Amino acid sequence: MKILVADDSRVMRQIVIRTLRQAGYAGHDIVEAENGRDALDKVRSESPDLVLSDWNMPEMSGIDLLATLRQSGSTVPFGFVTSEGSPDMRARASAGGALFLIAKPFTPEAFDEVLAPVLKG
Amino acid sequence: MEPSLTDVRMVVEEVWTSFLGAEDPLLPMAPGTLDVGWSAAVTVSGEWQGAVSVELPRSMAEEIARRMLGLDDEVDSVGDDDVADAVGELVNMIGGNVKSLMPGPSALSLPVVAAGRVARASDVIEACRLDASWAGAPLLVSVHVRHPEKG
Repeated sequence: MKILVADDSRVMRQIVIRTLRQAGYAGHDIVEAENGRDALDKVRSESPDLVLSDWNMPEMSGIDLLATLRQSGSTVPFGFVTSEGSPDMRARASAGGALFLIAKPFTPEAFDEVLAPVLKG
Repeated sequence: MEPSLTDVRMVVEEVWTSFLGAEDPLLPMAPGTLDVGWSAAVTVSGEWQGAVSVELPRSMAEEIARRMLGLDDEVDSVGDDDVADAVGELVNMIGGNVKSLMPGPSALSLPVVAAGRVARASDVIEACRLDASWAGAPLLVSVHVRHPEKG
């Protein structure tokens, strides 16, 4: 499977990729994107099986990325990895069509809990 | 309304434990002199308005970047871009979690990072400060809110 990791922080992308490995999801192809705009282009060119996206990013935010994807007909499974885990943000994520929201800081267990239904079918 | 010191400490400790390793705990420390090498701030605007900032000595900021990137500190050096990225992400996580504890709706800014001390608006006052030490060096996390008399 191919996983797109979108975050404007290279450090955070590395942490997300490392945590995927620690959660038992080594071996998947990883594609990195630096912001929502870059992620939008790479969803189209790389056809990932899952998008893990930050919320606050320059150029295009994660919620705008999700809205643009859904408006264009993309049904790619999408989850947020963001520092904001309030009920309001979770409701907005869910209303936009996200499958889950992982709040930073996170643990490998938190990743496995939400990813198992998506990646292990 | 302002976040309690207990809440801020809990948030900061969770970030530290999750991404910097539980083997070097964050310890309470009396306020003292801090030679600020790097700092970063995020602002929250909306129903609650405030700014959250982190100030660190240079060597600590570099060690944080190394650990967050999973680098071997015996071998790998770390560049200023990665240090700025790591310190920004640190304050983003702390600020995002503080925002979640306060009344919403509100929006979190992207982090502003500085080599040295970030400038603050003149109409804010310190609402909460957490002095701590990590791996033998001091750091400061603070929350500022708009001065009530300056609207």
